[in-house]
Amino acid sequence: MESYTYLNIFETKGLEYLLLMCFLVLFVFLIRYLSTDKEKK
Amino acid sequence: MNNSQSIQSEIKRFLKFFFQELKPQGKWLTPFNIITIPIIIVGLIILYFRFTEGLGSVTNLSQKYPWGFWIGFDVVTGVAFAGGAYIITFVVYVMRVEKYHSIVRVTVLNGLLAYIFYAGALVLDLGKPWNIINPIIGNSFGYNSVLFLVSWHFLLYMIAEFIEFSPVIAEWAKFEKLRKILNSLTLATVIFGITLSTLHQSGLGALFLMAKPKIHPLWYTEFIPILFLVSSIFAGLSMIIFEGTISHKVFKKLIDPKHHHSFNEIIFGLAKGAAISMFVYYFFKALIFVHGKHWDLLNDFWGGWFLLEVIGLVLIPCFMFAYSVRNKSLGIIRVASILSLIGIILNRLNISVITFNWNVVDKYIPSWQEIVVTLMVISCELWVFRWIVTRMPVFEKNKNY
Repeated sequence: MESYTYLNIFETKGLEYLLLMCFLVLFVFLIRYLSTDKEKK
Repeated sequence: MNNSQSIQSEIKRFLKFFFQELKPQGKWLTPFNIITIPIIIVGLIILYFRFTEGLGSVTNLSQKYPWGFWIGFDVVTGVAFAGGAYIITFVVYVMRVEKYHSIVRVTVLNGLLAYIFYAGALVLDLGKPWNIINPIIGNSFGYNSVLFLVSWHFLLYMIAEFIEFSPVIAEWAKFEKLRKILNSLTLATVIFGITLSTLHQSGLGALFLMAKPKIHPLWYTEFIPILFLVSSIFAGLSMIIFEGTISHKVFKKLIDPKHHHSFNEIIFGLAKGAAISMFVYYFFKALIFVHGKHWDLLNDFWGGWFLLEVIGLVLIPCFMFAYSVRNKSLGIIRVASILSLIGIILNRLNISVITFNWNVVDKYIPSWQEIVVTLMVISCELWVFRWIVTRMPVFEKNKNY
């Protein structure tokens, strides 16, 4: 029977991929935030 | 009148005009003069001793610390601040965003003077200053050296910026034909200048790649060149915001009232660019930090110092820029630009001076003479800047053209 193996996110590239995905999502939000003018709204 | 006679009379006219323009205008006893004249005099005295007695007589440089404050601040930081010129010329001449056209001349002038004075300050730091010409004339070219690239790029970029600015000089000296020829060179020079800038901004960072054992691991990374390039974007934009705000107050009379209104819109556009580039830079730093697995290094003084630089002087100004663009707050933009400029100074000095040989007991601390000479260089640049903008059509085009 196969046992579960613990995946250490710090030892793998996992954290870097997560960071990159966060960046891409937040970047879209930043651009949208900067593109809308509060006064015009 | 034949051709040579007309050229001679033109030269005579120009020389007469030039000597007239050299005469001082306005009051002598201004706060700016009162502060800068003593600094320049003391600086010149220090430089006299530097060139007669050697570097050791006025600086704390040694064999262990051959690069000190003059390289770290004047060259490495000053060139980052001059980055605004390549960004704005790219936006105006390549992207054709006309909104920023009114600040092109003053930005290019700032860039040109920054390179002349800050990169020129390199001469002060060389033990044998006359050897500065070696990479250019082929005496020990050193093709594999990053310094070879940097020295050639500095020279070529200074020429490119001079050509970009030269239509203003021709306009001022009333050389109509020459102005037309120089104007036609602008686009090609701008493209050449941008290519040079991207390479030598990153090249300055690449100078520190071989100092891996000496720089603190939180600051050393093989991606220093990319970080230097990206940070030069918001350094340049913040400098334009900071310098432009001061110029608009000091040289108010020289600026077209129409430009006063459009200037606020320009500031918001620049702040938007700064916010985006700082955001990208922050994630680069975070990614490099995670990739290097430096978690344990955050527990001591250097860890706190690193967080101050990255969060306090990059992430917070980034949010301030973004918030102020959306809420149209010029005051917050000004504060954010100052914070980001401090962040750039700290980052460049951290890599070149502060964390350099971080684990050695006898650390290098710049002497007061080094700081005074740096202030002298800045003061001289401001004097030349003031002389040019009060005489040449820098803030607006001559109405005859």
